[in-house]
Amino acid sequence: MRVIIALFSLLAFATITIAAEDADIQIGLSSETIEITSNFDGADLVIFGSIENGDRQLLEAKGYEVVVALFGPREEVTVRRKERKLGIWINGDAMRFSDVPSSYSVATTSSLSEIADSEAIKILQLGLDNINVVKEEGNGDGKELVTFRESLARLKVSQSLFLERIGGVEFLSPTLFKAKLALPANVPIGKHTAHAFLFRDGKFLNAKFAEMQVRKIGFEQYTYELAHKNGLLYGIIAVLVAIATGWLASVVFGKD
Amino acid sequence: MNIYLPIAEMSVNVFVLFGMGAGVGFLSGMFGVGGGFLMTPLLIFYNIPPAVAVATEANQIVASSFSGALAHFRKATVDIKLGVMLLAGGIVGSAFGVAIFSSLRQAGQLDLIISILYVVFLGTIGSLMLVESLNAIRKNRNPDAPPPEVPPQQSWIASLPFKMRFERSQLYLSVIPVLVLGMLVGILASIMGVGGGFIMVPAMIYLLRVPTNVVIGTSLFQIMFVTMFTTIAQSATNQTVDIVLALILMVGGVIGAQFGARAGQKLRGEQLRALLALIVLAVCIRLGWDLVSMPAELFSIAAGVGH
Repeated sequence: MRVIIALFSLLAFATITIAAEDADIQIGLSSETIEITSNFDGADLVIFGSIENGDRQLLEAKGYEVVVALFGPREEVTVRRKERKLGIWINGDAMRFSDVPSSYSVATTSSLSEIADSEAIKILQLGLDNINVVKEEGNGDGKELVTFRESLARLKVSQSLFLERIGGVEFLSPTLFKAKLALPANVPIGKHTAHAFLFRDGKFLNAKFAEMQVRKIGFEQYTYELAHKNGLLYGIIAVLVAIATGWLASVVFGKD
Repeated sequence: MNIYLPIAEMSVNVFVLFGMGAGVGFLSGMFGVGGGFLMTPLLIFYNIPPAVAVATEANQIVASSFSGALAHFRKATVDIKLGVMLLAGGIVGSAFGVAIFSSLRQAGQLDLIISILYVVFLGTIGSLMLVESLNAIRKNRNPDAPPPEVPPQQSWIASLPFKMRFERSQLYLSVIPVLVLGMLVGILASIMGVGGGFIMVPAMIYLLRVPTNVVIGTSLFQIMFVTMFTTIAQSATNQTVDIVLALILMVGGVIGAQFGARAGQKLRGEQLRALLALIVLAVCIRLGWDLVSMPAELFSIAAGVGH
């Protein structure tokens, strides 16, 4: 229902705007909060948007390109490499990166190289190769930066935290588009930011962003918070639960 | 049916975990062992982070040892004074172990140390059990063979100072080996997520000469309190106890143990021990293989400065 309302309001918004020099972009999210409950197994986030003040002929000819990217909360990440020592594989060299998006999902109308030149793509941090991560000072070997950086992205992809969907942005009408981004079961908790970028003829025109919260609710949220804010109490509760289970078992089964 | 684990922060199949709890519970009921030393590696094979597997397993052992200790308490087969001394050592060892656990985790070497400790302990105990049970099976086929030698009196233990009288066990014994044994078991509880009965029971019988009728009850008494302390200390220090995971394993474990105990009565002791030894060695080989074979992915990532 919310989706339909969002769609209609975007439609209304799109039709009443008056033509101007440059085309602009607007977006809305299918949900502003994603709630993680005990049976959470991933979710879809639909991003709706419209191109405003676009050139009518260009719109009809699908001359505009759209990129939608969802960045998870930024975090510090340590990347470690295993090496063989005394016959066993142990963690050796490590490199620490800050400002790494904990998750990243991007959808586009066509391949990034067709949409804009590599310079613009890099500046806007679009695509898995261009996500901005900052290597912290004074750790790890600078010569190996590329290897560690690529491994970081590869591992995030394998954990389904980094996703790229070429052609994932779908036009519903010449001005309206929609992109479906999959949020994995391990989607990070916190504030996610959705960005929409508008391009024409390889040129970046405009961008908009919208925020979304991912949070645990109910029992999951309570448990997580208690464990991290009052670990002592949490531990005592865990022990009491175990004692109750053990006692119950001896009542139900125990004859000796 | 998938369930989200709030501390491990992952979605897991509740039936798989319940089945693992019940399976290990079955084996522990059948063989009369705690099962922590099988459960923790299984959780790691199921991709539960080793830090969470170890700490959560301590919580599960509280439940299984509680019902066992309660039964022994009712039958008065617990030497409380000896248990308290073992416990005093155990708490010191556990606190020490939790601190080691934290620093290894920060250095990124916790998973490695857990695996190495498991390979060493499972390998040693599995081999000893296999040899012992095969000898017993051979002896049963050849009833004329001489009876096993009684190990000689441990004179070095008898010569230690700070002697104490343990009335229930009818022992006059130095507290030093008792405290050291308790401490060793406490360290294992916090770093490996095991009760440590597989070390404590033989040590009590052969080194301390505790009468066999109070050995199991007394060791369960110690294990129960040490794992309680470990659960609380891990929760307060490392936030790695997953209460949802623990509960699934506990319920599976206590149910499995009932069926295991019944099945165990129908099988011969030495054949059971040989079977358990083979299971232990299989887990050991799997963990050892993961250490020496070249990993498909050399890199790993961890959020934050620490873990």
